[in-house]
Amino acid sequence: MTNQTNKLRLNNSELWGGLIGLALGGFVIWSGMKLKLGTINDPGSGYVLFYTGILMCVFAGSIIVSALTEGGPTLASRWENVRWSKPLLLIGCLVAFSVALEPLGFLLSSIPLMLLLLRLIDPVRWTLAIPIAVLVPTGMWWVLKRLLLIQLPSGLFGIG
Amino acid sequence: MDTLANVAHGFGVALLPVNLLYCFIGVFIGTLVGVLPGIGPISAMSLLLPVTLSGTPESGIIMMAGIYYGSMYGGSTTSILVNIPGEAASVVTCIDGHQMAKQGRAGPALGISAFGSFIAGTFALIALMLVAPKLASVAIAFGPAEYFSLMVLGLVVLTFLTQGSMPKALLMACIGVVLGLIGLDSITAQPRLTFGRMELIDGIGLVPVVMGLFGVAEVLLNTEQAIKRDIINARITQLLPTKEDWKASAGPVGRGTLLGFFLGILPGGGAVVASFASYALEKRLSKTPERFGHGAIEGVAGPESANNAAAGGAFIPLMTLGIPPNVVMALLLGAFVIHGLQPGPLLITQNPGLFWGIVASMYIGNVMLLVLNLPMIGMWVQLLKLPYNILFPLIILFTILGVYCSSNNVFDVYVMIAFGIIGYFMRKLGYEPAPLVLAFVLGPMMENNLRKSLILSQGDLWTFVQRPISAVCLAFAMALLIAPLLPSLRKKRELVALDEGA
Repeated sequence: MTNQTNKLRLNNSELWGGLIGLALGGFVIWSGMKLKLGTINDPGSGYVLFYTGILMCVFAGSIIVSALTEGGPTLASRWENVRWSKPLLLIGCLVAFSVALEPLGFLLSSIPLMLLLLRLIDPVRWTLAIPIAVLVPTGMWWVLKRLLLIQLPSGLFGIG
Repeated sequence: MDTLANVAHGFGVALLPVNLLYCFIGVFIGTLVGVLPGIGPISAMSLLLPVTLSGTPESGIIMMAGIYYGSMYGGSTTSILVNIPGEAASVVTCIDGHQMAKQGRAGPALGISAFGSFIAGTFALIALMLVAPKLASVAIAFGPAEYFSLMVLGLVVLTFLTQGSMPKALLMACIGVVLGLIGLDSITAQPRLTFGRMELIDGIGLVPVVMGLFGVAEVLLNTEQAIKRDIINARITQLLPTKEDWKASAGPVGRGTLLGFFLGILPGGGAVVASFASYALEKRLSKTPERFGHGAIEGVAGPESANNAAAGGAFIPLMTLGIPPNVVMALLLGAFVIHGLQPGPLLITQNPGLFWGIVASMYIGNVMLLVLNLPMIGMWVQLLKLPYNILFPLIILFTILGVYCSSNNVFDVYVMIAFGIIGYFMRKLGYEPAPLVLAFVLGPMMENNLRKSLILSQGDLWTFVQRPISAVCLAFAMALLIAPLLPSLRKKRELVALDEGA
C-alpha cells in the first residue's frame, strides 16, 4: 500500500476515520445526557456513557489532528493491488442472504448463498459447486432439525 | 498436600468418559482450526459456545479450553509446512520453521514445536495449580476500585500492544465499552441505546459480535487476495529432534516457557505477545544471530514454547479474578456465564471440582495433543490441501448456523453480518477489533465496579489512588498511555505491536 501524504485532502482515510469516531462520540455524549448523568455520589444510567463519549471525542480528535498534520493514505490506496470487487461481492451476497433468510427460510436462502459464494469469488467448477451447495446446507439442516431439535427459520413456504 | 488431593480430585473429574470425550473434541477442533488458515480459535470457540449448553459446565469449559491450547499446537504445522500462520501466535514460527522445512528438516521443526509446546504446557499447568489458589485468596480482599483499575490496566495493555496507532486502539476500546452497555442498566433497569427494539433489551450478544469481527471480516479480507500456498510436499520423516537439536533448543524452550507464562498472566498480554517476545529474546541471546531467519531451530523452539505457556498462564486472571486477559478468555468467561457460573476468587473454594477438573483435563489434553500432532501429522498435511475457495463458503455457513443456534434468533445473524462488514472496513482503515471485543466484555463490569466504588466512597475519586493495588494498576496504565508520546518508546511499541485479530 502506498503511504501517500494528503494533509488537507478530503480523500485522506485517516481523516474520515477520525470524523466517524468524532460523530459517534458526539452521539454517545448526547445519549448519556439523555439518560441522566446522576451525581458523582450516585451515578446515573448515562454517567459512564457520557464520559466514554468524551474520551471517544478526544481520541477521534487526536486521529484528526494527526491526519491533518502528518497526512495519511488515501481511501483508494487502502484497496490498491487487491481484488476489491471480491469482498464487495461477498458483502452483497451476505446482505441478500440476510434479506431473504426470514421470508424464504434457511434452506431456500442458504443453498443459493453457498452456490453464489462457490461460483462468484474464486469459481469452483459446477460439478463440485452444485453438490456442495446442496448437500452441505441440507446436511446441516438435517442434523440441527432432526438430531439436535433446533428450529431453523422455515420462511413463508414452510420449507426447512 | 492439599494441592495433591485437589489434583487427584481434578483427575477424578477429568477422567470421566464424557469429559475425556469433550477434551478430545476440544483439542481435535483446536488443532484443526490451528492448522486451517483463515479460521482461528476465536471463531471456533464462538461457533461452539452454544454447544457447551448441552452438557455439564465442566464438559463445556474443558472443550473450550481444549480448542484454545489445541490451536496453539496446530498453528505451528501450517507455519512450518505452508509458511502461512494458522493463527496469530504462530506468525513468528513461519520465519525459521518454514526455512527448516525447505531445507528438508520439516520433521525436527514439527517435532521440537510439539515437544516444546508439551513441556511449556505442562509447566504452565503446574504453575497454574500452585499460583491460582494463592492469588484467589489474595483476590478475595479486592474491592470494586481494584477490579475497576485492573480492568482499565488490561484494556490499556491490550491497546498498547495492538498494531497501529494508539488513539485508534483506544477509540476501539471506547466503542467496545459503549456496545457492551447497550441494553438494560444493571442498577436502574433503564433501557440504554436500544432504539425501541426489543431484541436489544438484553444487549448485543458476544457471539455475533465476535463471529462478525473475527470470522466474517477475516473471510472478507482473505478473499481480497488469492491465497497462495507453498506446501512442502516431501514426505515428513524423522520427527524426533536429534541430540544436537535438543541441545540447541533446551535453553529456548526453558526461557520461552518462563517468559510466556508470565506474559500470559498479564492482562492484555497473551500467546501472540509471548511468541514475538521469545523470538526477539533468543535472537538477542544467540551467539550466531545471523542464523535466525534461515532455519534456526531456536527460532521455532522458543516461540512455540512461549505461546503454549502463555495460553496456560492466561487462565490465571480469569479463574482467580474473573477478569479475562484477552479475547479468547473473554469467550471462555461467556461459557462460564452461560452455565450460571462466575469465575473469580470464590470459584476455587466453591466449585473445586470444576476448577481442578479443568486443570487436570488440560494436562490430559496436552498428552492427547502430542499424539495428535506427531504420529498423525500426515492427516493434518492432507487437510492443508483443502482449497480456500471451498473452505470459506463453509466457514460462512457455519458462522451463520453457530450464531443462529446460540440464541435461536435471526436478529443475531443480522448483527453478525453487520459486524462482519464493519469489521472489514475497520481493518482496512487500520482499526484492530481486539480492543473492541475485550472492552465489550469488560465494559459492563467496569461500569458496575466504577459506580459501586463511587457510591461506597460517596463520590471520592481518591478511593482509586488510596488503595495500593488500584493505585499501582492505574499508575502502570498511565505510564503506558504516556509512553507512545516519547519517540524512543514509540519505536519500541511499534516493534512489539501485534495483530491480535489475525
